[in-house]
Amino acid sequence: MNDLFVPLAIGAVVALVSGLGVVVARRPVHAVVALLAHSLAVAALYLMMAADFVALGQVLIYSGAIVVLFLFVVALLPAGGAEGPIGSRRVLSGVVAAGALLVALMAGLVAGGPGGSNVPIARNPAVGGVEAIGRSLFGPLLVPFELTAPLLLVAIIGAVAIWRRQEPLPDRDSPTRDSTP
Amino acid sequence: MTAETLVLATSAVLLALGASGVLMRRNPVSMLMSIELMLNAGNLVLVLAARARGAVDGQAAALIVLVLAAAEAVIGLGIALALFRTRENVDVDGPAEIHG
Repeated sequence: MNDLFVPLAIGAVVALVSGLGVVVARRPVHAVVALLAHSLAVAALYLMMAADFVALGQVLIYSGAIVVLFLFVVALLPAGGAEGPIGSRRVLSGVVAAGALLVALMAGLVAGGPGGSNVPIARNPAVGGVEAIGRSLFGPLLVPFELTAPLLLVAIIGAVAIWRRQEPLPDRDSPTRDSTP
Repeated sequence: MTAETLVLATSAVLLALGASGVLMRRNPVSMLMSIELMLNAGNLVLVLAARARGAVDGQAAALIVLVLAAAEAVIGLGIALALFRTRENVDVDGPAEIHG
């Protein structure tokens, strides 16, 4: 995989810059566009790691469905979803917590060293293919895979229920309703 | 620096970025987008592990995480819309109570 270093680095830089755009963009519409670029860059990274089917799923589900859903919600929110000023205390807490997380992760990465993190990827044959993923999903991962079905069902019913609750109930005694035969 | 280290470092930075976004932003939609960043970071490591081990299980797990992200976005955005479409300010600190 080391011959893919430069393309991987380009994809990683695009994913990181657009991810930064998602976090710092003031207007949510800009953040959604940055999220679209980010998801496409991550899909490119998956392709370079020989995960064709995951890249396809990323483009279809993330870029196709989730980003469009975010766009709809941003369009429906009042004032385009623009938020108020962010206090310096909030920024400080976010930066400190994320910095600590990053330091911890990087320490783990460095401590892994060339022996721990330098997995001999290049020697492995390219894995992937829909058939192998299907065998895995219906084999060792059968229980979580089957649990995604009730998860999606609950998500659908929950979204509809949350939305319906906000609608005014029809007034049965309303004079506009024609009850006379 | 090998390609594997590059992908791992990218994933770590993405996770920290998403965490900072969740902590800093006041807009629920922006917070949800930052959560999507963190899920993407996790997925990157799963796919890298699948490649490194020569097994495909990590890719299947990444697909399950994709489905989870979709369900989470639907519910989160539904709550955000239900809470904020009648309010002036889109701010997660605003609603002190949620009516059942």
